Amino acid sequence: MFKKVLIANRGEIALRINRACRELGVHTVAIYSEADRTSLHVRHADQAFCVGPGPVARSYLNIPNIISTALITGCDAIHPGYGFLSESARFAQICDDHGITFIGPKPSVIAAMGDKATAKRVMSEAGVATTPGTDILASVREAAGAAESIGYPVLLKATAGGGGKGMRAVNVPEELERAYASATAEAEASFKDGRVYMEKLIVRPRHIEVQVLADNYGAIVHLGERDCSVQKPSHQKLIEEAPAANLPAKTRDAVQAMAVRACAHVGYTNAGTLEFLVSGEQIYFMEMNTRIQVEHPVTEMVYNIDLVKEQIRMAAGEPLGYVQGDLRPAGHAIECRINAEDARNNFAPAAGTLEHVVFPGGPGIRVDTHVYSGAAVPPFYDSMIAKVVAFGETRDAAITRMEHALRETVVEGTPTTIGQCLEILATKRFRSGDYDIDFLPSLLHAAPVA
Amino acid sequence: MPEDLSPAGAYPGPPALRVRALAEAFSATDLIRLRIEGPGRDAVELRRSTRVPAASAGAAPVEPESGSPIQIAEVKADLVGILHLGRPAPAEGQEVDAGRELAYVEALGIRNPVRASGSGRIRTVACRDGQAVEYGQVLFEIDRS
Repeated sequence: MFKKVLIANRGEIALRINRACRELGVHTVAIYSEADRTSLHVRHADQAFCVGPGPVARSYLNIPNIISTALITGCDAIHPGYGFLSESARFAQICDDHGITFIGPKPSVIAAMGDKATAKRVMSEAGVATTPGTDILASVREAAGAAESIGYPVLLKATAGGGGKGMRAVNVPEELERAYASATAEAEASFKDGRVYMEKLIVRPRHIEVQVLADNYGAIVHLGERDCSVQKPSHQKLIEEAPAANLPAKTRDAVQAMAVRACAHVGYTNAGTLEFLVSGEQIYFMEMNTRIQVEHPVTEMVYNIDLVKEQIRMAAGEPLGYVQGDLRPAGHAIECRINAEDARNNFAPAAGTLEHVVFPGGPGIRVDTHVYSGAAVPPFYDSMIAKVVAFGETRDAAITRMEHALRETVVEGTPTTIGQCLEILATKRFRSGDYDIDFLPSLLHAAPVA
Repeated sequence: MPEDLSPAGAYPGPPALRVRALAEAFSATDLIRLRIEGPGRDAVELRRSTRVPAASAGAAPVEPESGSPIQIAEVKADLVGILHLGRPAPAEGQEVDAGRELAYVEALGIRNPVRASGSGRIRTVACRDGQAVEYGQVLFEIDRS
């Protein structure tokens, strides 16, 4: 096992990783920006180093300062969390070059999966169904030709993308030029890589993703699926659940088998997630995230497995120690993301001071957060301030618990998504489990939050 | 560098007692400067006196004359690494010119010079040779008045 792990992240996930290290008896080093000086992750780590000013490019993406911190504090591993450097093959390689274990898959696998166009090609080789689409587009003219042959509607996606950034739907040829320009500009601004590719837009699909774990010796298991179809118009997830409601057994078996097959094909190690679009009986591979995900707690609750500890164990060279048949999910878990955002204003992020914060508790409730009364929400980072997770023996029980938990939650100082989440939970469609990725956008369109 | 950032919790009680407890604990260390920020705006900063306490009443510490505010230029680390003081080591009270190399921060095997941000007298040497330093850490204070 590692002696000391540097946590190259901030917010709730930095605390989450710190807790996992504590349970494993591993020392921790936090990094922080000047804007995060009073953040909880700084306080709970064994050591903490400021690595730069607020803007991410100069702090949480500052590879030389992060590596230097790891070296002078004697860390033997770095956990990248999600976002930031978590899917940077270059960073993983640099860690390797300095004799530091990057807690994640091999750099070559991150590179292959991180380039979404390459990932699709590799998945096709593994016999995984992918969405009809193109390689990287060189020009808007090439895009127009591709859209004609695939057939509208189509989706432009950033090859370096994630979190809905650099993604544009194009319904008719007239929209293409403008969508192409804005997708490439947004991708360039977000990822310093403006390259985009095109896919057929699958109408009203469900977003179903499969959690996988693989050790360094070829053992691979899946930990079931999550349904992340409650997405904002920007395609960012808002509510996730495990298992997916009303998913036919045949489809469930198929996505789980595809996920394991894909991992075996690419020689995947550590934790990862394969995202699929499911439309009727059709399954299309969308992308693979080679890191821990925001919504990992719902899987942890139904499988009773600590995924972050498993990540650290696998990276330290421990064998998985169990097989698929040993894994028995039980119950149902739902996660609501509490973001400092104005749901009435297109989920515009809000910064400021959280004057007063009270989080819920009780049986079956888990809150992963880094904020407290008086905490600052700096303008530089993701607007998520907490994840409220509810577990129940049944889906209905989990929903009921979640509703009570959200009503107990108090966040004063910025607008939040709590009201929006409650509104979603109360709808017949969510309760029936019969919803797809158009559900929230159409709900917003039909009845804007009062 | 932050060696222990949790004394706020270790010294509960009224602020005066807390500061006294902190000062005693601080004296027992070889720290030069300790700043503790609470979750709100409250902060406590302790600094080691740069002078030997006066043994007699005749050697009172020099106070700045009223009406002439001190102009302090802070010299900060702009990257994370190991600090090495220049040779000879900069000393408190020493006059330096702007741009003079006072130390260097070694990071990833590269020497990154730390230079005086203005000419004046070194008021505080807030770092030790061989110490790990973080981004933005104050290394020297230069009295420019």
